[in-house]
Amino acid sequence: MASNEQTPVLEVEGLRTSFFTPDGEVKAVDGVDFSVSNNETLGIVGESGSGKSITSLSVMQLIQHPGKIVGGSIRLSGDDLLKKTKQQMAKYRGNRLSMIFQEPMTSLNPVFTVGHQVSEAVRIHKKLGKKAAWQEAIRMLTLVGIPAPEDRAKRYPHELSGGMRQRVMIAIALSCDPELLIADEPTTALDVTIQAQILELIKELQEKSGMAVLMITHDLGVIAETADKVVVMYAGEVVEQADVKTLFTRPLHPYTQGLMNAIPRHDIDLDELEMIPGTVPSPQNMPDGCRFAERCPYATDFCIENHPELASPSNNVEDENTSGQTRCWIYTDEWNGSNPTKGVAANQ
Amino acid sequence: MNDPLVVQYGRFLGDLLLFNLGESVRTGQPVIDIIAPRFFITVELALWGMVVAVTAGLFFGILSATYRNTLRDYGTMAIAVVGLSMPNFWLGLLLIYWFSIQLGWLPTSGWGTPAQVIMPAITMGTAGAAVIARMTRSSMLEVIDQDYVRTARAKGVKENLVIYKHAFRNAMIPVVTVIGLQFGYFLSGAVLTENVFAINGLGRLVVDAIGQRDFPVVQGTVIVLAVTFVFVNFLVDIAYRILNKRIELN
Repeated sequence: MASNEQTPVLEVEGLRTSFFTPDGEVKAVDGVDFSVSNNETLGIVGESGSGKSITSLSVMQLIQHPGKIVGGSIRLSGDDLLKKTKQQMAKYRGNRLSMIFQEPMTSLNPVFTVGHQVSEAVRIHKKLGKKAAWQEAIRMLTLVGIPAPEDRAKRYPHELSGGMRQRVMIAIALSCDPELLIADEPTTALDVTIQAQILELIKELQEKSGMAVLMITHDLGVIAETADKVVVMYAGEVVEQADVKTLFTRPLHPYTQGLMNAIPRHDIDLDELEMIPGTVPSPQNMPDGCRFAERCPYATDFCIENHPELASPSNNVEDENTSGQTRCWIYTDEWNGSNPTKGVAANQ
Repeated sequence: MNDPLVVQYGRFLGDLLLFNLGESVRTGQPVIDIIAPRFFITVELALWGMVVAVTAGLFFGILSATYRNTLRDYGTMAIAVVGLSMPNFWLGLLLIYWFSIQLGWLPTSGWGTPAQVIMPAITMGTAGAAVIARMTRSSMLEVIDQDYVRTARAKGVKENLVIYKHAFRNAMIPVVTVIGLQFGYFLSGAVLTENVFAINGLGRLVVDAIGQRDFPVVQGTVIVLAVTFVFVNFLVDIAYRILNKRIELN
């Protein structure tokens, strides 16, 4: 590790991003807080429509019309990014904070060579000349494990496999030594064997540079493998956050428990996988109370009417000395329903 | 003349290879000598028309794509529909009326001086500009939402360059095909424009020749235009290959 000291690199507070459609405001991200330090990987997990991708695009300020960040603050090493002008943000993107995307097949521009696309970032941010930037691009391609980088640099994206293209994306993202790397489902589109390689590569490069990583995924396996801390998102909100060990040994929120139960397990013989019934509520029609209540096995009328806050649990947990927080009435003193921990135990 | 049709046709094809298109029924001059000087005038006219069509088409197409669903977009596209629907001879007549008769700025007819080029070029180019603008707009809109455009933004490329370099290069691929086809239409569309502006090009020649039943001239003109059309499309295919790296020449 480059350094063991941990200072927050990215601090997001009360982030709210909405899309202004003809049918009204759609709150895709509704008050999200998290922070990630150097040498640290924060996993953001949630199903489709939970707002995790919009959160990451908001951090990059790549939200396109009709979407808009309507509140909160995003600080990068203390700098408030939401106060920056468009030009200043363009200077930071690819330089101080970078992003890799889900679809390596379509994320590279088909009409430029791979080398050109890697060197472009270097030319913009490090102000290198064409030749020096090309050399730098080849160095980056070598670093991300692309064989014969001099030759590959002259190739077009369609001549490379998905795994290779994702390596190229990583090379582009890391070419200017960013403080923060946002990886939005970086392995979802790849073969399982390649997935492990790419995750390993990100980890390796993180250890070298000490950057902070924001790992966005719906795959708890990826979280278990890479993350130090985890934020679970549901319907635009954080419903649980904890360090990765705590989350996997004792998931608090019924939604997190549901996600855990939906993972296939090799040690238990099950005919059918558990699933969470129903779907994420539509953002146009968000319930007033707990957003998960409709799908929650423990929900009471109280849950349906009252919206819980993200807080440290104070009820229904054996060990109260936990860093984790959850957004669920069960763990508050207001709870008067049945004790869910038994139900959870039965599920495990 | 007494040989069977097949033999006559064979002889005609043989002559064609030697650029012998026969003689004019009217004047007895070799058709190739009549066509050649006029051919270059028509090509020049079509090229100037292309200049108008491509610059205006690309400019307005990109403009309405970058301001999609705004007043600017709707305004530009409305003008494009008008430009597309308007018969070009009528546009030519209107231009003559305004700029030559009312304002007296430009000559009504003829070919050669820069002033004589302006109105015919606009007349020829307007419909093409409208087609290219509409094609550019839809192609740009398709490309602008692509992942690689987001990647370009994510690595800090300035918005202008995102549009003109990353998006435009990809959006051009279908547009180039349309531009090539437009050039073909321009060659045939020259018939009307040349007659309106009294330009001695192929278009006027063929109209006169039809009127005089001068078949060798009509036939020769059609062949020359057809060959040019094929040649232009061949150039487009080459341009296509340069723009689109995914096409392999095997």
